[in-house]
Amino acid sequence: MNIRQLFSHLLVNRKARLGLCIVGFFVLVSLAGQWFVPDPTDFVAMPHQPPSAEHWLGTTGQGQDVLAQTVAGTRTTLMVGFAAGFLVVLIGAVIGGVAGYLGGRTDDLLSLLINVFMIMPGLPLMVVLAAWLPPGPLTILAVLVLTGWAWNARVLRAQTLSLSQRDFVLAAKVSGESPLRIVSAEILPNMLSLMTSSFIGATIYAIGAQVGLEFLGLGDISKVTWGTNLYWASNDSALLLGSWWTFVPTGFCIALLGFGLTLVNFGVDEIANPRLATESLWVRKLKKHATVDGSTPVVKGGVA
Amino acid sequence: MTSYYKSKHDRKKLRSLAAILPFVIAVLAITVVSGCRKERSHVRPGVLTVAQEQQSSWVRNFHPFLPMGVARWGTSAGIYEPLMIFNRMAGEYVPWLATAYEWQGGAEALIFTIRQGVRWSDGTPFSASDVVYTFNLLHEKPALDTGGLWDYLASVELDEEDRVVLTFSRPYSPGLMSLAQLPIVPAHIWRKLDDPVTFTNPNPVATGPFTEVLSFGGQVYELGRNPYYWKDGYPKIEALRFPAFPTNEQVTLALINGELDWAGSFVPAIDRIFVARDPEHHGYWFPAVAGSVYLYPSQWVEEFRDVRVRKALSLALDRAMINRIAMYNYTLLPEPTGLSEGYAKWRHPGIKPGDGWVHHDVAAAEKLLDEAGYRRSGKSGMRTGRNGKPLAFEISVIAGWSDWVRACQVIARNLREIGIDARVKAYDFTGWFEKVQRGEFELSIGWADDGPTPYRVFRGIMATETVKPFGDTSYVNWQRFGNKEADELLARFEGTVDFQKQREIALRLQEIFVEEAPAIPIFLNPSWGQYNTRRFVGWPNAANPYVRLSPNHPPEPLMIMTRLEPAPGREGETK
Amino acid sequence: MNRSIEYLLRRLGFYTLAAWIAVTLNFLIPRLMPGDPAQIMFARFKGEMSPESIGALRETFGISDAPLWGQYFTYLKHLLRGDMGISVSNFPEPVINVIASGLLWSIFLAGSALVISFFIGTSLGALAAWRRGGFLDSVTPPLLALLGAFPYFWMAMLTLFVFGFGLGWFPLWHAYPEGTSPGFNLPFLFGALYHATLPAATMVIASLGGWMLAMRNTMVGILGSDYITYARARGLPPRQVLIRYAARNALLPNITGFGMALGFVLGGALLTEIIFSYPGQGYLLLQAVRAQDYPLMQGLFLTITLAVLGANWLVDIATLILDPRTRR
Repeated sequence: MNIRQLFSHLLVNRKARLGLCIVGFFVLVSLAGQWFVPDPTDFVAMPHQPPSAEHWLGTTGQGQDVLAQTVAGTRTTLMVGFAAGFLVVLIGAVIGGVAGYLGGRTDDLLSLLINVFMIMPGLPLMVVLAAWLPPGPLTILAVLVLTGWAWNARVLRAQTLSLSQRDFVLAAKVSGESPLRIVSAEILPNMLSLMTSSFIGATIYAIGAQVGLEFLGLGDISKVTWGTNLYWASNDSALLLGSWWTFVPTGFCIALLGFGLTLVNFGVDEIANPRLATESLWVRKLKKHATVDGSTPVVKGGVA
Repeated sequence: MTSYYKSKHDRKKLRSLAAILPFVIAVLAITVVSGCRKERSHVRPGVLTVAQEQQSSWVRNFHPFLPMGVARWGTSAGIYEPLMIFNRMAGEYVPWLATAYEWQGGAEALIFTIRQGVRWSDGTPFSASDVVYTFNLLHEKPALDTGGLWDYLASVELDEEDRVVLTFSRPYSPGLMSLAQLPIVPAHIWRKLDDPVTFTNPNPVATGPFTEVLSFGGQVYELGRNPYYWKDGYPKIEALRFPAFPTNEQVTLALINGELDWAGSFVPAIDRIFVARDPEHHGYWFPAVAGSVYLYPSQWVEEFRDVRVRKALSLALDRAMINRIAMYNYTLLPEPTGLSEGYAKWRHPGIKPGDGWVHHDVAAAEKLLDEAGYRRSGKSGMRTGRNGKPLAFEISVIAGWSDWVRACQVIARNLREIGIDARVKAYDFTGWFEKVQRGEFELSIGWADDGPTPYRVFRGIMATETVKPFGDTSYVNWQRFGNKEADELLARFEGTVDFQKQREIALRLQEIFVEEAPAIPIFLNPSWGQYNTRRFVGWPNAANPYVRLSPNHPPEPLMIMTRLEPAPGREGETK
Repeated sequence: MNRSIEYLLRRLGFYTLAAWIAVTLNFLIPRLMPGDPAQIMFARFKGEMSPESIGALRETFGISDAPLWGQYFTYLKHLLRGDMGISVSNFPEPVINVIASGLLWSIFLAGSALVISFFIGTSLGALAAWRRGGFLDSVTPPLLALLGAFPYFWMAMLTLFVFGFGLGWFPLWHAYPEGTSPGFNLPFLFGALYHATLPAATMVIASLGGWMLAMRNTMVGILGSDYITYARARGLPPRQVLIRYAARNALLPNITGFGMALGFVLGGALLTEIIFSYPGQGYLLLQAVRAQDYPLMQGLFLTITLAVLGANWLVDIATLILDPRTRR
């Protein structure tokens, strides 16, 4: 299965399609959103103003536009999230792949490394590292990658190991193909769905951890991101003042994005392992909506 | 492999588990219902609840010579007492364990007359020799001398009238505050210690109003009255109670719920959050009498060596907006001399508000920059420097200090208005502190040294003596600004104890400050303080400003503790 | 039996190695980072100290300019004695004493939340797989996924605000009521349970979805396997097939996950403890970070890591007992 095939399968899968729409929406907002909202750091109005026609989501405790901040926060959050997801999978694939393919001593050593990193408590390590490094999105990215790669390395190692025992790989080995070619032509394509789902999983994790670290004030609070938005809301006692609008929109955006990514992941899992698919109540309900909206209902599960 | 019999057995186990479950749920439910909603009922009448330190769990340490936050707050605000307390509101020394002080020969020696009839909390009489012992202890153990007293002390001994004579190694009048406010420890206890540096002093013997540790737990500790306290009839408080709150938010919640009598934390939108909850009892007072927060332009940057540029930076700042955005309008705008209300008697009568460069005047700022040769150019309209590149500076700030970050965001905005491309860069505390101490920054927000007289304020921002090479660590004068005349004035200040002479020197120092703009005042530091009159009355506030309300400046709180009384008609009520 | 012991010893060897790496990391991180920690530690003394006093304090804190190897061996030697140095923000209290106060509370809170969430999650997962496409299977996973997608601290803060502050049903802070004294007495025990309810509940809700999905997916695989079909064909009562055969076997991979989760939970409780002012390790860690108390920070990271390693070894023992295959 190549990327195009995977993508077209995803488009057919209902859950995945909805998920892709949600994620696509946020990507769009992060790319173009800034042209539609005022400067998020501008002090535009009185602090703690509830939503109004002028400020759709009200103002923060310092009189900044909440909508503008939410939109502006999308970019850094998404960038760090996707970059961390990508790097985690990349490192995981390289280390896991090498360990699984070469086996023997190399595998023993790398597996040990993977296991040690996996057992290290992630969040405390992140906090300690973030405390030593200069604050900012790059530090957060580095910390996320350092604490997150092992999990994927383990999964990808197992997959490589099992693939390299398969007939077609053994056949390629016997016919004298170079290891590089075997890995890139025979093994990698077969791990595509697994790597995609690892990537999505790592991204969800990275977004959550990043927002958490920034909420604790370990990020750079002079930057506008979803995490710092929540940091400031808490700093300005938004809940005690009843200014729910400084707290709720960002939370919902994070949840929605995470939910969208999870849906895509469900889809990937179902494509890779069709037995997991369910024709559920929930999907049926969504299907009804889709029909009303005029889009073509597609027969579900035509993937096997 | 598995027999039917065994599985039946398993099912039985499952069933018994199912039988336990409702019980567990019931127990939980009962706990929830019976658990008293407000745990306030545990507070006995006459007990004052204070929140000053923010800790998740208390560590039992009452060592009087450690910095605040390391030893428990009560150590220097209730347990140990100093010779005198400098009352910042009144700008004068209040006699405490000493009844008077006297200078000898300029500022060459200081003599304290010690109070009679004071006892330690174990009943032993307190005497002048305890005072002598305490000072000499710091000499013997330099690790305890965190105030650097023995930099200028030569000897401490008793004279024939049992007065304590502190002889200086050089005339140094500004030493008075640190010397007068040193906590005094009992010689008969401390002499016997193996290592006074690492002693945690779990059961302190002291002269203060609250010396008895009634209980000590990770979540709460209580200090009871000293049975031998020297002030007759006081304290009228039975005990002090300290619940551990980890963050500002928890303190705010406790204040709102009426569970605290006294706190010193930053509460956003305090009128709406706190006062409006119970306007009859809830009060706060944030006098801005201490130091200022400054914007430091480092001499490392060529452009900032031009006084016109420094003044232009200051004139560009919209301090009213900074106060609103960063400080919830809690503080006051600085005077042209940068000196707060606390230095009222030192202020220059000839320098009026609006003089100088500590106000908002964009046109004047633009004019100064034009004169200095930094003209707006190009499409962006930003100003260009000598090298033809646009003027662009980084403002350094500490990442977690939210009010400062806010202030810097406004400052950057203000500077862009006058054509300077300023960007806020947040560092973690460690990184920031190293950078500013080395002087290797462009612009940075920062605190300043302050003290009972303007001496320390001006020494810290314009004495050549404090100017170190870039890259070396310096605790004050981060921006490396030195003025020869100021040096001479400061040296004369150290050598005199005469107020009129000191004042004359201070007036000239203020003139130099206005001429040279060595540092840019942003706002005055308020002293945070909140109180609740439901259980105790007699709090200081704007109407009765006998001392600062804030508990954050020991030993001043001693003055409040020996003045509070139970609220009338509410004695014995626990609520 | 000998093989079991060998297996356990092998695992123990691995954990020892992991512990050594953690210890070394802990030693290296502060030394590889820019900046002089000693300088920063004394910043709180506000620059009035003479060089003499600073020298005396450096000695007290055991800061030396010895070569890295020498420092490393001194560090290891001290560690073996249980000496993790002196906490800067609680001077002169040894780090180990400061830490001791929080560890038990963390284990209590995180442990009970984990156990509850594991039981409820796996049961729901098993049931969902058993009734494929039913209400539980179709509605709960997306719902839990949606709930789990909210930032954990965000949910916890809302919960605290609504149930603690707004309605006043639950305490806002601390681990046990003030009037009680820690020990084996009812008011304290009930109080501690009551104080743990809200924080534990938020942790359970946040982690339920993961357990449920994992269990459901393993169960789906197992239910399709031959021995289940055979068991059904033999006419065994469905409940027995579900519990005896399917769920029991599906549980095993999840128990391994349980060990992993212990680590996440112990560290992950950090946010819970901060929001609910719960006096555990996590909160101490943040406080150490804020106070630039590097010795305490290192000590905490080390104890959390060691606790996780220990817990995993216990899980290994449990797996050994539950799963005969590992014994072979």
